Amino acid sequence: MNITLKCFAGLKRHLPPHAKANQAVVEVDDNISVYQAIDYFNIDREEAYLVILNGVFVCPPDRDSRILKENDTLALWPEVAGG
Amino acid sequence: MNDKDLLRYGRHIMLPEIDFEGQEKLLAARVLIIGVGGLGSPVALYLAASGIGQIIIADHDKVELNNLQRQIAHDENGLGQSKVSSCANRMKQINSKINIVPLDVKLSGEQLLSQVAEVDIVVDCTDNLTTRFEINQACVTHNKWLVSAAAIRWEGQISVYHCGDKDSPCYHCCYGLGAGGSKEPEQNCSTSGVVSPVVGVMGSLQAIEVIKLILSQGDSLISRVLLFDALSMQWESMQLPKNPDCPVCGHIND
Repeated sequence: MNITLKCFAGLKRHLPPHAKANQAVVEVDDNISVYQAIDYFNIDREEAYLVILNGVFVCPPDRDSRILKENDTLALWPEVAGG
Repeated sequence: MNDKDLLRYGRHIMLPEIDFEGQEKLLAARVLIIGVGGLGSPVALYLAASGIGQIIIADHDKVELNNLQRQIAHDENGLGQSKVSSCANRMKQINSKINIVPLDVKLSGEQLLSQVAEVDIVVDCTDNLTTRFEINQACVTHNKWLVSAAAIRWEGQISVYHCGDKDSPCYHCCYGLGAGGSKEPEQNCSTSGVVSPVVGVMGSLQAIEVIKLILSQGDSLISRVLLFDALSMQWESMQLPKNPDCPVCGHIND
């Protein structure tokens, strides 16, 4: 199935070559979890600090159980704490 | 307000969302700004200029040369001074009519709780997660608005928290568990760098949210986080649900 992967800031290096700006439509296995998708793209789980599925934050305990669907949008941000 | 006040705040007063009544609310408001570095500088200067009646600023650092690239409340004359003294001086130059309370301390424990209890809104402009968690806990304890932002490298984020509202999350709902559940990342502008105006953008947005909350105008960033990627010039909006298992705010509204 296809999903849209959006990577921000330093995570953009994980986007495939066909990505436009900060996002790309990518093919992944059916019925994979949020964490399995992050692993599939070789992204460090701790680096993908903020995980946003279809515009809604997914808290860490739910990232193993939340299953992706066709045409979902998964957005990843690194941690931001400075000031 | 006297004639000089009407002149000073005229550009506020001509806005229908503010008017005389709104400016009086701003003049009567009490705000605590924790951290007067990159984010806290624009927050403090804009809130002083806007006529927030009482502004408490807390920071335990001294002004260093490497701060001046982005911390615009400070200048070369303030090198070596406490940041709160340097910032308060600049605020007074902008607006001598408001009450500014500088606290040259690392606010924590009972002192943090008592200061939070005294104000209407808390603005988190600190540079590390440990302090952010403690500020969040204090705001949940006293049911205060928390306007929180962060910035690093070319990125920024901002949100507003208020656990007195049903289904409203707290800062811990988003950041409390950490990715992977254990390790707490500790990156800040001192170790990772930050492009100067990014803290200005995020701090200015914090000041806007404070003003809106005091006026009860518009839609605040409650339950919503705005994320800013300056390098690609993209904004992302993220809904932040309340975590019913959150150890800080999960018990509220049971």
